[in-house]
Amino acid sequence: MSAVATAETEYSRTRESSWGESGLALATDQSTDLETALLACARGDRNGLRLIFDLEGGRLVAVAQRILRRRELAEEVVQEAFIRIWTHAHQFAPGRGSARGWIYAVVRNRALNMLRDGRREDLVSDERLETLQDAEQMDEIMSAWHRLDRDSRLKECLGALEEMRRRGILMAYVGGYTHGEIAGRLKLPLGTAKSWIRRGLLSLRECMA
Amino acid sequence: MTVAPKDFATYADEYVLGLLDEADATRLDAQLEHDTALADAVAQARERFLPLDTGIEPARVTPSLWNAIETRLADAQAPSSIPSASPPRPAAGNDNARSGWRAAAISAMAASLMLAGGLIWSVTRTADPLVVAVLLNEAGEVQAVVEDFGNDTASVKLLTDFAVPADKTMQVWTLPSREMGPMSLGLLQDAHSATLSGSALPRPQDTQLYEITLEQAGGSPTGRPTGPILAKGFAKLAR
Repeated sequence: MSAVATAETEYSRTRESSWGESGLALATDQSTDLETALLACARGDRNGLRLIFDLEGGRLVAVAQRILRRRELAEEVVQEAFIRIWTHAHQFAPGRGSARGWIYAVVRNRALNMLRDGRREDLVSDERLETLQDAEQMDEIMSAWHRLDRDSRLKECLGALEEMRRRGILMAYVGGYTHGEIAGRLKLPLGTAKSWIRRGLLSLRECMA
Repeated sequence: MTVAPKDFATYADEYVLGLLDEADATRLDAQLEHDTALADAVAQARERFLPLDTGIEPARVTPSLWNAIETRLADAQAPSSIPSASPPRPAAGNDNARSGWRAAAISAMAASLMLAGGLIWSVTRTADPLVVAVLLNEAGEVQAVVEDFGNDTASVKLLTDFAVPADKTMQVWTLPSREMGPMSLGLLQDAHSATLSGSALPRPQDTQLYEITLEQAGGSPTGRPTGPILAKGFAKLAR
């Protein structure tokens, strides 16, 4: 009888589950796939890399483009990042962080390097103040926070921060802005911007602990 | 000069946010190569902020991007010879290897690698399934792969040994829709992999649930799953 309950309960849960829940289950499956795919890369199996591309390629291009503002630069970054994923997959160990986090970090690092190397000069120059594109990017940066799951800890904890601190943190992570650029956009002295962000990060860690 | 443990969390956050200046970042990169506590802090910071990236609307990606990657791969060396394709500032902070972990990880991942093989095999064959579902047990271990061809035929590959009592049998189910409820795809004789056919069901969808239960010999008497679930998983469209 208990066995009956097991199967029936399982199905009714599935039947009643909201789209969000089945999405969550999928996300879990997907992270397992990514781990498997990375390990396949480490063994020299190119299908692993293809799987990563199929599962995450669209989002990775979007993440790079959000930082670099230009599609062709974003695609170049993603190309470089996939080569690096391929050659460095053996450095991933499932015990420390997720495969997804590892993969995104590779793309983020490449994008930030390109940005810092000045390839985006025309887009981040300090003379360019509140241009239309700047405002658009600001919207995009804030929407990354708005788009987080309603019940996500990160969303809640970012929401608990004082607005300028939240803004500074999001500008850095989502938009790839430096301390100097953030200070300029928020019209704060550099030292103030730095310490606000640092304190914001501390509050965030405590909130999410 | 190295970063002191009390500052790990601060530096890890600023490293992940890309806020460290070049000198600090380089210093951290170097320290990360041997300092596991610092590497842990970086991994934690990374996971904290990751949802800001994964929630993004995916860009539309054309096949030319993958082709470009493949072209570059052809020039790059095999994974064992690492330095060839290194970017200018290596992200050593991304080295999350910890030697003690490796053996455990490899054995734990063995089942998954079988799955990778199964998946790859299944999506590169000429007769393509419409969906592939990887079935896991409660512990999250890979147990079986179901490929549904949509022409009333589904192939079930068992990837582990199941102990099935003599008076029991394994039955495969899917949930085409909530309205329809669970439908039987068939029985697995002697707990062996099999190709099941004959059950006329709607075309399988992305995220459709598949599972295997333990039923009395001859199959569930009610036409619905009644026994314990041995493995289950959601389908993905093969592409």
